[in-house]
Amino acid sequence: MGVLSVEARVSSWATRSVGAVWRLYDLQLTIYAVLLAAFGLVMAYTNSVEDGSAVLDAESTFLRGLMWAAIAIVVFAAATAFDYKWLKTLAWPIYVANLGLLGLTLAVGSGVGGSARWVSVGPFTFQFSELAKILTIVVLANYLSARQGRLNSLPSILGACVLVAPAWILVMLQPDLGTSLVFAAVLAGMLFMSGASLRWLGALGAIAGAMVPFAWTHILHDYQRERLLSFLSPTPDIQGAGYQLYQSLIAVGSGGLTGKGLTNGTQNQLNFLPVQATDFVFAILADELGLFGALVLFALFAALLWRVLLCGWRSRDPFGLVFASGLATMILFQVLVNVGMVIGVMPITGIPLPFVTHGGASLISLALGLGVLQSINIRQTRAEW
Amino acid sequence: MSATSPTLAPDRRPLRFLTFGLIAVIGLSGLTARLVYLQLDQGHQYAALSTVNHTVMQPIVAPRGLIYDRKGKLLVTNVPSFTVKLRPADLPLDQRDGVVAQLAALLSMDPADINEAIDANPGSRFDLVRIAQDVPEATARLISESGATLPGVDVSVDSRRNYLTGPLLSQIIGYEGAIPPDQYEKLRAEGYQPDDLIGRAGVEQTYETQLRGVYGTEEVERDASGRKLQVLSTVADPKPGDSLELTIDTQQQKLAQKALKWGMRKAGLRRGVLIVENPQTGEILAMVSLPTYDDNLFAKGISGKQFKVLANDPDKPFTNHAIAEHYPPGSTYKLVAGTGGLADRKITPTTRIHTAGFITLGGTRFYDWNHAGFGPCTIMCGFAHSSDTFFYQVAGMLGANRLAYWAHQYGFGKPTGIDLPGEVSGIVPDDKWKMETLGQPMFGGETYQAGIGQGYDVATPIQLITAYSALANGGKVLQPQVVRRVIGPDGSVVRGFKPIVKNRLPAKQSVLATMRRAARNVLLVRHTYNLVDMPIVMGGKSGTAEFGIRDSKGRLPFHSWFVAFVPKHAHKTKSDPTGMKAVSRTDAQLAVMVFAYDSQTLGNAATEIVKYYLMLHFGIKHDYRLPQLLRKSNFYQTSN
Repeated sequence: MGVLSVEARVSSWATRSVGAVWRLYDLQLTIYAVLLAAFGLVMAYTNSVEDGSAVLDAESTFLRGLMWAAIAIVVFAAATAFDYKWLKTLAWPIYVANLGLLGLTLAVGSGVGGSARWVSVGPFTFQFSELAKILTIVVLANYLSARQGRLNSLPSILGACVLVAPAWILVMLQPDLGTSLVFAAVLAGMLFMSGASLRWLGALGAIAGAMVPFAWTHILHDYQRERLLSFLSPTPDIQGAGYQLYQSLIAVGSGGLTGKGLTNGTQNQLNFLPVQATDFVFAILADELGLFGALVLFALFAALLWRVLLCGWRSRDPFGLVFASGLATMILFQVLVNVGMVIGVMPITGIPLPFVTHGGASLISLALGLGVLQSINIRQTRAEW
Repeated sequence: MSATSPTLAPDRRPLRFLTFGLIAVIGLSGLTARLVYLQLDQGHQYAALSTVNHTVMQPIVAPRGLIYDRKGKLLVTNVPSFTVKLRPADLPLDQRDGVVAQLAALLSMDPADINEAIDANPGSRFDLVRIAQDVPEATARLISESGATLPGVDVSVDSRRNYLTGPLLSQIIGYEGAIPPDQYEKLRAEGYQPDDLIGRAGVEQTYETQLRGVYGTEEVERDASGRKLQVLSTVADPKPGDSLELTIDTQQQKLAQKALKWGMRKAGLRRGVLIVENPQTGEILAMVSLPTYDDNLFAKGISGKQFKVLANDPDKPFTNHAIAEHYPPGSTYKLVAGTGGLADRKITPTTRIHTAGFITLGGTRFYDWNHAGFGPCTIMCGFAHSSDTFFYQVAGMLGANRLAYWAHQYGFGKPTGIDLPGEVSGIVPDDKWKMETLGQPMFGGETYQAGIGQGYDVATPIQLITAYSALANGGKVLQPQVVRRVIGPDGSVVRGFKPIVKNRLPAKQSVLATMRRAARNVLLVRHTYNLVDMPIVMGGKSGTAEFGIRDSKGRLPFHSWFVAFVPKHAHKTKSDPTGMKAVSRTDAQLAVMVFAYDSQTLGNAATEIVKYYLMLHFGIKHDYRLPQLLRKSNFYQTSN
């Protein structure tokens, strides 16, 4: 068939049959995402049962999870239908809106213990920093894809850093250490995948590493340091900062090979965790579904990452490649850090487990990202490779 | 459609895709390896940890007993109340200031009070600390819904005391408060929780064990660090506390308060006590100590500021002045010397002793309040006119130790044993006491002073009414009681009422009858002005006692006392116009005493207050009060 010109492609899409669109649609990607989200709902269900509240109580975690899932499906469908190329045009308005939302969070947000992370919208609270991750990926993808081939130059790389800096600072001010780390990881991952010079990337990494001691003493709060350190402590201070970790390890460890069964966990009512049922939800999963459950979850994440990267690889548009890289980096980084935190190999930072952590903002942001990815998929012919 | 420039072919780099995939595989493999280690290798150990301390027994609070008055009127109930508590372990140190400030704003409290509560927590960091009681529902909901921003804060529905009569009975009923940290070790053995409340005053304190009941036990599931997750089963139901039926008659308490308040207002007094007792049984029908406070302040959670204002009040509203402070009893104490003199046969009812403006001992003049004296006087005359020189001489005849003996017989110098906390013992000076205290024996002049209730003598109002009740009932020194019966939760009587006779006066009935007639004569000679005109027969004795520092004219401030007893058939009869026959009997139905602190009035303020109370008690319409006697004056000699 040969490569169509842009004009031809654009016009041909409109006249393309539904069947042709479906052939380009990555059904596997959607299936893995849905299965992961189902995992999240199962965990929401088990949590609701153990909370003692009726599962379909207006306030139950499960019902809220269902509502968020429904909204996420709508967002996913809308993003798929929306022509992603508009995102390039709208990159700057998106950039400004992103900063505006983060600024709003700082101004009117509420959160755990004096931090400002959630903004109330009607009956829901929404964590805009989750949405900011996706919006930042969109903006970065636009920037990096426009500079494809020029990414060996330091100014282009620094430009990417400067682009992310305002959002990063706003998130640090909340303070939300976890999200700011995600930003850094996503930036690094996207630069790497879009072909940035390894030499300059290495230099930037070294500078960032050198700044760690400064950040440790001047930027991090006491409790953040305490939490970061607690995982290093050989005898965790179970009445202090290491308490969450200690409980979490007991939950994971006592789960064994097959787990205690849904809603039967004994350690799972992590009521003592200020962020119970959110960032530590993997501990409940490991307790109730055991090693098998955890491996199924890992397999689904691996499959999803595979499909996301494949979409990037197949993309005929540099934007698609870079966007997919950002999304994949974000998901992988969050899985590694969140699970690592729960099982005591990563410091405790507030990073949610994609799809599984009960939080509307996280799920909807993922739905938005995956929807954009499907939009990229169906709006081009396959690359020949 | 799209306004973008023509798209370049993407710059795919297979090696970088491969590297990314490798990182993902290595990362997920690493997590899997750690999971295998935790769940398979260490699994048993963790499984044991998660179940070993899994269930524990925990107490269930028993409903506290209620309190009624003698007529069955409910005085204290339990009402549901939202309580805000805090578990220090769940509150990160760096967030404490913020959380405390937020709580203080929500609860309209002083942050200092919250910090103090947290710091005074007698338990461990995992035990809840009581921050506020009686929190409005809206506030409680707000706080419980903002759990995320208030780590460690817990809102629960408890019950709190509701003191229906408030300040009227605060001194008797008392209140509950947090367990003092230094007492927790001991109380924990009795099943107390660190955030429990315990009776801290009044019968709430003396009857704590009965009111508290027996806590139940429930089996609760806990996490491996010992925190409660859920209730599994109730092992033993809590046994509600017993209820108390006071000897107090709320109606009489109200009349007593009314009378005392009137007198204090008229005379400009700052402190006063009025006690009404059944002299046959020792039951306290009314006991008013002013100023007072509202025990509901404690039930609702008193602020540190409110508490300090009350605690630093020089007139001590928290103190029950009827029992917890002792004062010189003045001439009311002449009962002791009179009884002793007659019983020890130093004098007979007809012995006449010369009274004058003063008598001299060792070169020192001891003055009578009446600088003219009363001439030759029997006990009837000396007691009625309250002649100081008469009783100096009787005390001199008895000697310090014999005088002290009779004081002790009447119950002075040691607590009466009333079932209220904080009673003090007073002082009865004798050689032994003075040797121990000051290293010298009693001097003659000091014995003179002791005979008229001055010098070293100090007594509590409750001791005084106990002594006069013993006089009135024929010699039984009764232990005063404010709790009549203890009633079980099922209505059964756990402890009925029984008068407790502490002592029987070792004096002949004739001696006591003489002293009662002498007390009647106090009224008959109009030492108490128009009190005798009331249609009720009574005996009584007034007293004014100097204390403190002389003013510029060399005059001392003074307290005034009056104590009276009313025979059973109190109304005057034609066959007994003087009432002497009535007071000769031992059937007195009522004893009333008033103590007026620092009452610099023209007449005896206490007498006027007793008079007004009796008018109210007997429903006497004619107003016998003489408010002009309550005018300010420093001339205490007008009516000693």
